[in-house]
Amino acid sequence: MAQKRTSGGKLVIAVMCLVAMCRAVPINDLLDRASQRSDKMHSLSTTLTQEMDSHFPPYGRMQMPRPAECHTSSLQTPNDKEQALQVPESTLMSLARSLLQAWADPLVILSNSAITLPHPSKSTISSKIQELQEHSNSLADGLKILSDKMGSDAQAISFLPYTGGTDLGHDRVTILNKFNFLLSCLRRDSHKIDSFLKVLRCRAGKLQPELC
Amino acid sequence: MRTRSCLVVLCMLSAVGVCSSTSAPGVPYIRDCRSPEKETFSCWWEPGYDGGLPTQYRLYYQKEKESFKECPDYVSAGENSCYFNKIHTSFWVEYTLRVEATNAFGNSSSVFEIPDVMTYVKPDPPVNVTVLVNSTGPTPYLQIKWRPPPNVDTKSGWATIKFELRHKRNDSDNWETFNLDSREYLNLYNIEPGALYMIQVRCMLDGGSWSDWTKTTFAKMPDIEKPLWILVFAFCLIPLLATICILALKREMLKQWVLPPVPGPKIRGVDVQLLKSGRTEDFAVALIGNVNFPMKMVPVDQVEEYLLVSDSKEWLLADPYTSEKKKDPMVISAGLHLESEIQRGKSSPGQNAWDKAGDRKDEEERFESNVSQSERNLLNMEPMEKPGYPSVDQAAFTNATQPLAHSSYVDIQQPENSWEAGPTPTDYSRVNEVNGEAILILNSKNVSDGSDVQRQEGNGEVSAPDDYSRVKEVNSDVVFLQKHESVDSCGKRKEDRCTGWTSQKPAMPLELERSKGPCSEMIGNGYVDSAPAFTVQLPVQV
Repeated sequence: MAQKRTSGGKLVIAVMCLVAMCRAVPINDLLDRASQRSDKMHSLSTTLTQEMDSHFPPYGRMQMPRPAECHTSSLQTPNDKEQALQVPESTLMSLARSLLQAWADPLVILSNSAITLPHPSKSTISSKIQELQEHSNSLADGLKILSDKMGSDAQAISFLPYTGGTDLGHDRVTILNKFNFLLSCLRRDSHKIDSFLKVLRCRAGKLQPELC
Repeated sequence: MRTRSCLVVLCMLSAVGVCSSTSAPGVPYIRDCRSPEKETFSCWWEPGYDGGLPTQYRLYYQKEKESFKECPDYVSAGENSCYFNKIHTSFWVEYTLRVEATNAFGNSSSVFEIPDVMTYVKPDPPVNVTVLVNSTGPTPYLQIKWRPPPNVDTKSGWATIKFELRHKRNDSDNWETFNLDSREYLNLYNIEPGALYMIQVRCMLDGGSWSDWTKTTFAKMPDIEKPLWILVFAFCLIPLLATICILALKREMLKQWVLPPVPGPKIRGVDVQLLKSGRTEDFAVALIGNVNFPMKMVPVDQVEEYLLVSDSKEWLLADPYTSEKKKDPMVISAGLHLESEIQRGKSSPGQNAWDKAGDRKDEEERFESNVSQSERNLLNMEPMEKPGYPSVDQAAFTNATQPLAHSSYVDIQQPENSWEAGPTPTDYSRVNEVNGEAILILNSKNVSDGSDVQRQEGNGEVSAPDDYSRVKEVNSDVVFLQKHESVDSCGKRKEDRCTGWTSQKPAMPLELERSKGPCSEMIGNGYVDSAPAFTVQLPVQV
């Protein structure tokens, strides 16, 4: 009886494993999907900054906060190709996830502020920010699945809180400045996420050079 | 006085000369920076006015919160430039650049901030743009290929390159652009033959700035070979048109060939055309009352004669029968049978004669059966009988393999037996004995002259059975029978037999004459009929 149970149990496990393997999407495919989404995010943020600059009065530029004051600047990330290629894959994944997580709240603030932004293209900006949010959320889900496959290091997320408050200011100039500054920070961070994921994609798909 | 003014002028001139020649240098400013492959970057400055003295330019840079460092390479990027190699290049890091101009009189500088070097990423244009005209398929198309700039590393994943291609006709103003991601080839299909096309490609790294367009590549499409096509077209079209014309002209024949007409029902020996000529009254008469035996068309030398024995004058027929067709001997017996039938079914003066033969009942029955058979046969023939019947009969007679194409006979009843089988001679009775008062005694014997009867020749010869008697004399009341021993069935002796035989022919005056000659003693055609009803009016036709 016991032997029958064990054999039956093994059979069930084998079947479940097969099912799980059959249903599992390979990592290469997941990374490819994630890279495409991060690429989309980066292009959206680039378009947003250009949209802002087209009408943003340049006089306040010098007073704009420097990029070092982005709330994600404290995170140590590779800054060039050699560093990026040397960092382990799980670290890259962790960094990407941390950055993505850091922008969840600020995106909400940006979305709320965009509706009442004193800017002629605020409707376009608002819709693009909402699109960004969607991509960000789905990318976060995808990266979570990926990190589960990549080990414990990939699952560690650095906490990068946004301390800029819930609104952007009270006067027009302040609002616009802060909005612009946040968008530039977002552009930089989205580019980081995109680059890291693409390096990961290329490294994971050694047999598929077309992924690089 | 003059020397003082001269000295003053000299001092002023010298002072002016000294002031205009030297000064501190003007302010230089950085006009542009660029990273061509996302690994290094360069910046270029514009020197200001140098102040007339040799001026030295230096560039210092600071990465975020580090200290200022001097430019590592002033040479590689050209004049008034600073080249930052891979080691010195960092992305997502703010750079602060300061360029200084120094000469003997002083220096001047300006600051240039780079928040992110990534914003200055702009690759070189793609290289090796090749355009091929591919004419192997049904339509020619352009095969365009290119390569990314050589200084870009596309294998590590650090830099993701995207391409864009545009083309236009030489004489057009509108470019058509294609976004190709990282593909390094394109096939252009929507091109016009014989046109000259201009093609350009450019690339981009990581969503940065687009590179410059490549130099225009020209491609000329081949013309279609018009004369050849016209020739081919003509060669194909002319036979096609000819075929269509022929088919249209011969569509009836084509229809016949494709869908052959279903043959309608046809009974041998019946001429449908003759039947269609519309002389239905003949058939109606035949069916209802006057049973006129349609006489078959028999060749001249085959005069058939009828023998009908009766003591009634009414049986004597008049002229209508002269023009009727001849019958074969079978018909004669059929006439006998019919009379018997009439005897039964209808009141006729001929009954008397038949009654007297009542003691020969079995023979009569046989006769009757024969009659019925023949009648049936006749009746069978009747529907097909129409004014044109005699000729049909003759035709059938000539063609039929059967000895007797009795299709010309009208039957009162529908016989079961086919007349084609022919009332065999065996069915006819023989006149054995003639009583004094013209009593017809019928004897049924098998007539073994089936061979004679079966003989069916082209001319429709039918021989009379041997056992038919000849009417020797016909009185008003009595018909004398002459015993006939040897009636040759050969048609050649028809004339001989003609003496006793009546011949019914369809409008064959010759035959009639011939027959009438020796048969002059016969009345009319000699066919004795019992009653008018018995008469079968045959339409006379040849």
